[in-house]
Amino acid sequence: MKDKVLAILEGVRPDIDYATEDNLVDGGVLESFDIVAIISQFESEFDIEVEPQYLTAAHFNSLDAMVSLVETLQK
Amino acid sequence: MKNILEWLENSTAKYPNKTVYSNLEYSLTFDEVSCLAKSVGSAIINLDLPEGPVAVVMGKEPKMIASYLGVAYSGRIYAPIDVTLPIKRLNSIFDNLEPAAVVTSEALKEKVQGILEQVGKSEVKVLTVEELEKTPADQAKLDAVRENMTELDPLYIIYTSGSSGVPKGVIASHRNVICYIRAYVKVMGITDEDILGNQSPLDYIAAIRDIYIPLYTGASSFLTPKEFFMQPNKLFDALNNAGVTSIGWTSSSMTLLDTLHAFKNDTLKTVNKVCFSGSVMTKPVLEYWTTNLPNAKFVNQYGPTEATASCTYYVVDEHTMEYDSVPIGKAYDDYKIILIDEDGKVPEEGELGEICVTGPTLALGYYKNLERTNQDFIQNPVNNRYRELIYKTGDVGRILPDGNIEFHGRKDRQIKHMGHRVELDEIEAAAATIAGVGENAVIYDDKNEVLVLYYVGEATIKELSAGLRGIIPGFMVPRKMINLESMPKLPNSKIDLKELERMYSNEG
Repeated sequence: MKDKVLAILEGVRPDIDYATEDNLVDGGVLESFDIVAIISQFESEFDIEVEPQYLTAAHFNSLDAMVSLVETLQK
Repeated sequence: MKNILEWLENSTAKYPNKTVYSNLEYSLTFDEVSCLAKSVGSAIINLDLPEGPVAVVMGKEPKMIASYLGVAYSGRIYAPIDVTLPIKRLNSIFDNLEPAAVVTSEALKEKVQGILEQVGKSEVKVLTVEELEKTPADQAKLDAVRENMTELDPLYIIYTSGSSGVPKGVIASHRNVICYIRAYVKVMGITDEDILGNQSPLDYIAAIRDIYIPLYTGASSFLTPKEFFMQPNKLFDALNNAGVTSIGWTSSSMTLLDTLHAFKNDTLKTVNKVCFSGSVMTKPVLEYWTTNLPNAKFVNQYGPTEATASCTYYVVDEHTMEYDSVPIGKAYDDYKIILIDEDGKVPEEGELGEICVTGPTLALGYYKNLERTNQDFIQNPVNNRYRELIYKTGDVGRILPDGNIEFHGRKDRQIKHMGHRVELDEIEAAAATIAGVGENAVIYDDKNEVLVLYYVGEATIKELSAGLRGIIPGFMVPRKMINLESMPKLPNSKIDLKELERMYSNEG
């Protein structure tokens, strides 16, 4: 699943090195329209709904954080 | 009434201790804004600067607005600049603007100085609002400036995307803004009891509402942090705490909040007026909002920066969903709309034509670009009796039997993407400057709001994406990039854009 998440991220912003970045939102690397594109694709790819309470920087700051968010929401 | 500052002065006399602008950190009253603006204005006059506009660079805070008004007090034009833009874009903006000085905050001073050095303008004076506000107001000098001004004097320059890659600076006069704000307030029914919830960055055209409506009506504006728009819970909390009653947002930010399920467990408790603009509002998104805010008034606004943010408005009612698309409505007060067809004539009833606008709301043109100004602002082709300038929007529309105008897209390659005006030519020009990129073309998938770049050359997608980010703003960098062996061509050897669109839609 990590590979799928990474593929989505690289599709949205190919210029970012997701292996090392751990401050994607707080560091201003991802912009709001990037996040929205990522969320839409998570929702259709993993059949989940990312509700507003999960829309915090902490859940989107790194590849690993997003992977665990998707895992949580799939349960 | 010939100067926007008369509104500030009248409202300050009426509501001196009322908050006019606030953000999460602090707020300013009418009296505080007046004093600050007069000090900034007096300080600028005293400095005896070279001729030219004054750039303003600041965070989204009440003092940024007070600085705009301060520049207006000095009789100069203010030009808000977003310094987070790529350096190449800043370079072309500063080259066009040639500011007499930059007003900024202590916090941003070093950054601004660094940028001025990078764009070869290190001789431009950098002033901080913290220093300027210490200058006592010199009423006699401010009065003397005012006496020499007319309502046609320019107030601001706002930069928008230009097809050649050089941003265009739209200049608006005091009269332009006075007419638009009056018309908007009338349609929305805004009074001194309203609190506006701002969305737009303060360097954008849409922000003129959040800036000037309070001065006209005695209302106040709450400046919302940009990052809250991807955290709906925080956004709604902030707007509810501020007691926001009226919002004027881009259709794309409202679409974004729908995508993020903003109303899932929350609502906007005090909002009763909603104006949306900037791009086409789809019926499902509108329905999402009207269902969640059943008691609010919803208005669709349409119009370009060149006609001072707008042209037409349409008040949503129980019949709206019966239209094929949400109409853009009828002309505001002080605006007149004419449709002109390919032959320079008024089209037959119900037929398509280019939407052209005239009235005292027409901007003064593009700063230091008379050639482009003369192309876009022309003599009304159906009036040969007296001088009447119209602005050709490049948008196509038709008039419905009930008099409302229906929007039918663009004549050229300008699009609306995420609420921003984007020239596809500009992205192509930027891509062509990157090493390893040959021929390239951009198409727009408007259904999914995705820019798609096709290119020939050995550059990797990663290199291309990173390279573009150094030249154009992030929202203009195509989300999809596809490398081709060669570009499909038309018989005249131009790139076949229709074929690219077919290839894209076949790919699904």
